[in-house]
Amino acid sequence: MIAKEIIFTTAPIVIPSLTLPSREIGACVEFQGLVREIEGNTALTGLHYEAHLPMATRHLERILDKLHTAHGCSAVTFIHRLGWVPIGEASLFLRVLAAHRGPALCFCADAIDRMKADVPIWKKIAAPSK
Amino acid sequence: MRRARKQIPSSQPAILAFAQAQDQLGFRERVVDCAAGDSPRTILANVAPGFDGAGMRVAVDHEYHDWDAPVGEAVELALIPPVSGG
Repeated sequence: MIAKEIIFTTAPIVIPSLTLPSREIGACVEFQGLVREIEGNTALTGLHYEAHLPMATRHLERILDKLHTAHGCSAVTFIHRLGWVPIGEASLFLRVLAAHRGPALCFCADAIDRMKADVPIWKKIAAPSK
Repeated sequence: MRRARKQIPSSQPAILAFAQAQDQLGFRERVVDCAAGDSPRTILANVAPGFDGAGMRVAVDHEYHDWDAPVGEAVELALIPPVSGG
């Protein structure tokens, strides 16, 4: 069983303080996805995110459980921003705690890949800034 | 002796349209009448005959579903354009 925290928020992401579930944690991998100014050839002022919340939560829980089976990590915190996110701010925060760096890094990368494939979250590209 | 005819239950699922699906359909949510044997494709064809769901997936009660499989007693039918979280 992995300790999971899944949060969707319309407020700027505040990185939660680190709490170790056990003395066996030897790796903490954190990832932030930031909204950048250039998307393709378009200059942005930000992105708008929406999600099908109940479905997104259900599928994230399932994905994180499967990744726990594959990589054996101890805890994961997943925070995704919704609504308008200006450039330079984080739209995604992911923290994975594990005994060793290998499983934590793999878990983190796989979780993002799986989210981008199957979790119903969308970003809308804003109009170019003038 | 007359054999009892099996009733096909009808339901009133809500169609949820997200992102490009909402842009195309012009609504976020709409309740529709359907029979248990209807598929998402036939339901959408009735609601929005010109709807182009190419590249989109459909979810029934929060699980991805085949466009041509019966929806049964579905409560919700969500149109899922290509996702782009992160």
